[in-house]
Amino acid sequence: MLQVSDLTRKFGDKTAVDSVTFDVPAGQMTGFVGGNGAGKTTTMRMIMGVLTATAGEVLLNGSPVTAAARAKFGYMPEERGLYPKQPILDQLIYLGQLHRMSSSAARREALDLLERFTLADRFKDKLESLSLGNQQRVQIAASLLHRPNVLILDEPFSGLDPAAVDSMVELLRERTRDGVPVLFSSHQLDLVDRLCDNLVVLKAGKVMAAGSSEQLRASVPRRHRMTVSPDAGWLRDEPGLQVIDVAGPTAVLEFDGDGAAQRILGAAMARGTVEEFTPLRPSLSEIYREVSA
Amino acid sequence: MSTVETRRPDSPAPQRSDETGGNTPPWAIVTLREVMVKARDRSYLISTVVTLVLIVGAVVFNAYMANRGTDYTVAVASDSAQSVVGAAHELASAENSNTTFDTVTADSPEAARNLVSGGEADAALLQGSDGTWTLVGGEDIDNGLRTPVAEALRLSVINDNAEAAGSTGPELLAGSELQEELIQGSAENAVLATVVGFAFSFLFYMSAIIFGMAIASSVLEEKQNRVVEILATAIPIRQLLYGKVAGNTVLAMVQLALYGGAALLALNMTDTADMVGMIIPASGWFLVFFLAGFLILASAWAMLGAMASRSEDLNNSSTPVLAVVFAALFAGLFAEGQLLVIASYVPVVSSVAMPIRMLSSEVPLWETLLALAVALAAAYALLRFSENIYRRAVMQSGGALTLRKAMKLES
Repeated sequence: MLQVSDLTRKFGDKTAVDSVTFDVPAGQMTGFVGGNGAGKTTTMRMIMGVLTATAGEVLLNGSPVTAAARAKFGYMPEERGLYPKQPILDQLIYLGQLHRMSSSAARREALDLLERFTLADRFKDKLESLSLGNQQRVQIAASLLHRPNVLILDEPFSGLDPAAVDSMVELLRERTRDGVPVLFSSHQLDLVDRLCDNLVVLKAGKVMAAGSSEQLRASVPRRHRMTVSPDAGWLRDEPGLQVIDVAGPTAVLEFDGDGAAQRILGAAMARGTVEEFTPLRPSLSEIYREVSA
Repeated sequence: MSTVETRRPDSPAPQRSDETGGNTPPWAIVTLREVMVKARDRSYLISTVVTLVLIVGAVVFNAYMANRGTDYTVAVASDSAQSVVGAAHELASAENSNTTFDTVTADSPEAARNLVSGGEADAALLQGSDGTWTLVGGEDIDNGLRTPVAEALRLSVINDNAEAAGSTGPELLAGSELQEELIQGSAENAVLATVVGFAFSFLFYMSAIIFGMAIASSVLEEKQNRVVEILATAIPIRQLLYGKVAGNTVLAMVQLALYGGAALLALNMTDTADMVGMIIPASGWFLVFFLAGFLILASAWAMLGAMASRSEDLNNSSTPVLAVVFAALFAGLFAEGQLLVIASYVPVVSSVAMPIRMLSSEVPLWETLLALAVALAAAYALLRFSENIYRRAVMQSGGALTLRKAMKLES
């Protein structure tokens, strides 16, 4: 498990990251969300040691992370970049060697990853001759090449087409099955919703919420959708609930308690027919809006 | 969060497929990449080959020009003139076996003059009725023709006059030959020392700029593309700097050895080799001093690359380094006497100045070693300093940094 503990970074008087604490459990995907300038990239750079923390520490399985330990991490920086003028296989092998792989092992692994991203036939091409999406795939390959034991990925999905997103997700799932903790930031909340087991919401350098998706879902008020015939307007006058939205026969409701829910359901059935009464699973964007409001 | 756990059995530690590759130190991997990338760069290869061809061509051309003989045809109208030209031929071919003097015999001085103006003879050697000799030329008289003829004539007249006085030419001339001796080196070597000194100066100047720029732009490329963030997480950033400096130093040294070797080989093949003996020790020391000087400059160039944010920034920031390189060039070309002695102790400048001093005079070994030690100490100090700047500046995105700003950065 990777633990981020009280991580703080000041730039002059400005505190970009303020006592950020969260866990990235082993074998799980942890989504890192927050608006622009929330401090996601600064936090990730501090985890990777690219930026020195003003205060706080990063622990891996309980021990403070050293430079040697970080060499086994996989990192995809926010600003993409490899060597534009070097053939893609050559630079992947080079990066693999720097991560203490033998050149043959690095070559094998690189070709395997390129194959999975359907770039195998282009391994001799210079990076700059590839489309941006394909360059992004090479970048991902660079971060996974040395079989890292921790993955820190800054916006790994931006700029990828759906097929590439799927191969990427499949790869990440394989790695989490091996027990690798994965932290990735993203603006695509629906994607984060689909993928991650845990969520960390950052706003203005502070953690607004952190925990498993289920915990977070439980923390926001539960809502129900009710469709009645002929009209749902009467619900506005009932006590014990808030009407979030009414449109003709359908209403979205937030009950004050389970008793109130059953009472209203009975009342609705007495008034006419009830076509639908469904608890709503809050979407990540709702949670996000709720906690960062 | 601060609970210290022991490593849990389910902790993520996927097996690395191959641990055997981990023995090469990271800087050596970086060095190898620097060299390989350059070695595959077509424009670099072409310019190296072209320079090699130019060097060998220049040596061969010089040797050809020096050895080229000329065939002179001299018109004569008398037997005495004929024998003077014959003696001139002996003298000239003793100097250069490819030079010959032929005679064409004319019936009269007039006819001999006509042969010259008609282009059939290069000159005519005529003796007037009063005994005076005239060498008649067309538009001008070649030195290679005039000198042997004048010398042959002088010797022949001395011989004749000596006989008339009851002596012989060699007796009269005995003891008149002037030997030359130089306290420092020899006249021939002085010319050669100047030429080789020029070569040292320009080679150092060229390599310092070409490979220095290569270091700066390679550092800048990684900074601009942010590869450096990935590299910095894989290996200590210091190793990255060492690797770059080492890689480009190797490239520069190899190129230098290649150029120098080609020049020496060409000198050898063209039989100009009798002078090579004195160039070799100075050239060897030049390589050693070049190494020290280049290491200093390499550290400086790496620092410049790290502080720049675009390649345009290098144009401004490289001025101080270029000034030092120019100083070395000018010291190599123009410094003499006391100034050269001082220059031979100044790091970077000494890379050129000390070998040049060694070409033109005897330099005690301790002086050479002292100058080398000074240069190496400077190289070490600058490498450590630039390491500090590099580590801070290379992670910084945004505008170009000044040295002062870079020193204040937190990493």
